[in-house]
Amino acid sequence: MLARVQFALTAGTHFLFVALTLGLATLVALTQTRATVSGSAVHARMVRFWGQLYVVNYAVGIVTGLVMEFQFGLNWAGMSRVTGGVFGAPLALETIVAFFVESTFLGLWIFGWDRLNRWVHLSLIWVVTLTAYLSAYFVLVANGWLQRPVGFEMVDGTARLTDVGALLGNPTAVLAFFHVLFGGLLTAGFFMAGVSGYHLLRRTAEVEFFRRSMRIGLLTVILSVMPVVMFGGAQFEYVQPTKAGGQEDAQAAVADFTARFGPDEYMPPGLAGVGEGLMMGMWSLMILVACVALVKFPFGKWLVRGRVFHVLMIVAVPLPYVAMVSGWVFREVGRQPWMVYGVLKTRDALSPGVGAGTMTVSFVAFMVLFAVLFAVNAWLLVRFARRGPEGSGLGASAPVEPAAPVMSPTF
Amino acid sequence: MESLAVVLLAVFSAGYLVLAGADIGVGMLLPWLGRDQRERRLVIASFAPFFLGNEVWLVASAGLVAGAFPGLEHDLLEGLYPLVAVLLIGWVVRDMGLWLRGRVDAVAWRGGCDAAIVAGSWALALAWGSVLGSVLWGGGLNAGSVLGLPLAVVFAWHGAGFARWRLPVGVLAARAGRVRSRYAVSAVVMASAPVVAGVRLPWSEAVAEGAGLTMTAVTTVVVLPLLLGSQALVWWTFRGRVESPSYL
Repeated sequence: MLARVQFALTAGTHFLFVALTLGLATLVALTQTRATVSGSAVHARMVRFWGQLYVVNYAVGIVTGLVMEFQFGLNWAGMSRVTGGVFGAPLALETIVAFFVESTFLGLWIFGWDRLNRWVHLSLIWVVTLTAYLSAYFVLVANGWLQRPVGFEMVDGTARLTDVGALLGNPTAVLAFFHVLFGGLLTAGFFMAGVSGYHLLRRTAEVEFFRRSMRIGLLTVILSVMPVVMFGGAQFEYVQPTKAGGQEDAQAAVADFTARFGPDEYMPPGLAGVGEGLMMGMWSLMILVACVALVKFPFGKWLVRGRVFHVLMIVAVPLPYVAMVSGWVFREVGRQPWMVYGVLKTRDALSPGVGAGTMTVSFVAFMVLFAVLFAVNAWLLVRFARRGPEGSGLGASAPVEPAAPVMSPTF
Repeated sequence: MESLAVVLLAVFSAGYLVLAGADIGVGMLLPWLGRDQRERRLVIASFAPFFLGNEVWLVASAGLVAGAFPGLEHDLLEGLYPLVAVLLIGWVVRDMGLWLRGRVDAVAWRGGCDAAIVAGSWALALAWGSVLGSVLWGGGLNAGSVLGLPLAVVFAWHGAGFARWRLPVGVLAARAGRVRSRYAVSAVVMASAPVVAGVRLPWSEAVAEGAGLTMTAVTTVVVLPLLLGSQALVWWTFRGRVESPSYL
């Protein structure tokens, strides 16, 4: 049980970081394109400011992802033994094809500021953004296979991949990818609009800067609020019968499972339904905010005024986060009691050999660490967001210091 | 296909120990190489542009194991549970210290981050020494887990060699030069460590069956030149000695 809670909390925390990273990377890349093409100074400053927030969020997101990758091996031995031959492949490709390139180029982007040709520097952030998408795709291929296992056969109790195309084209992976992509954009859009709203409300000096940022944020919200629900809804066709099927389908599935695997509780816990309801509720609130945004959007100067509107945008920042987490709960809890739907039960996927004591110690240690990370990330994001464009450390030329002390009295 | 996957895994894990081993080693020596916060920032700048691209070699190694040798992942990690937990916590603490050090301009904050970097680097090096020793001894917690601990010193030695040609000429480079080290020599030692440790592992029993293995191995071979090219670009961009502090 602890292993499940540990994985759930790790993955949940990681997912929150990823949501903002995916969307914000896109917006930073677009802004940098504009800044590079037009040579506009305000856009160049926007890249630094939003890029700083992106980097802080990315750094904390990475380490939660690292821990997650190793948890598969630590706590889920049954899973890698029975289904590792299929499930491991997309995870391997994620690390090698996507994450490796993403991180290497992000390092170049951060540290190569003012050092590289500006077009080269621009292409770096696009590589980072696209490989981040690729990364999300491969992770969702792995996850989609848990939801709807395809393209494999069972030989001597282990799964063997037979159809690569079916695995990579699994609708529960492809549709979920677009759902998450637009969810990430929505998160970043609300984030950008909320931070801008704060500065416009406080009447800080950077009116032009945040008016433009507000426009980008609102436009992103308006453009992604519909696709996110379309790609979400399209998945229902492929969702497990016990999760979202009609009464008859669910009964049929339960009867089938009982015949093949013996009696058990095959209906998902009620928490899945709570997740679904909460996600839909959040989306309804978001579309309301998006309608307000649509009215405001065409009038550039009008965005600077309207205190109620600014407060509304600040308050709306958590909405996509709540939607993201509850949607994820709906997806993952809804597949229970299965690890791999209809193939492997969650309780059989756990490592049998790990003692309860070891598990508890590791659980407490990682959870304390994550709580601290989460708090530090939130605190830093708020701090940098409030400070405004002047507080950004990204790309600011480092103060010139003598490489060695001129005189050292003791030697 | 199986031998190809083993060779690839050797390349990635050796790549990790050579590249990240150096920045872990510098982290271990941080209090000694940099005597005040300004010096320490320069020492960190010596590996700052690389460390993100260094640790991905381990992430890719773990990915390869998951894709090509799923049984092994579980045998190795589960048997060494406490060590892997220490390794992960050390890694997270160290990375956070590195990423966040330059974000808040306060003496206490930088001091705390420096402590996190040093403690995390030592935890990582000791955990790696212990993991390599355990695997060499036959897997699971055993005498090798203890006997491997001194391997941590190799990380520090390797780090000193790296610091020697990256730190600015003068006091800092001279300080690193007091350790008798040569990056090229320690790199060979680092690269051979996972190869030696992996020789006795039962690869055939753990190998993935079916198209999963082929997909993982072939794709990796295809993208390998791209990966090496991107890493080479980083090294080319930040070649030479550091002169000024970086973003970290």
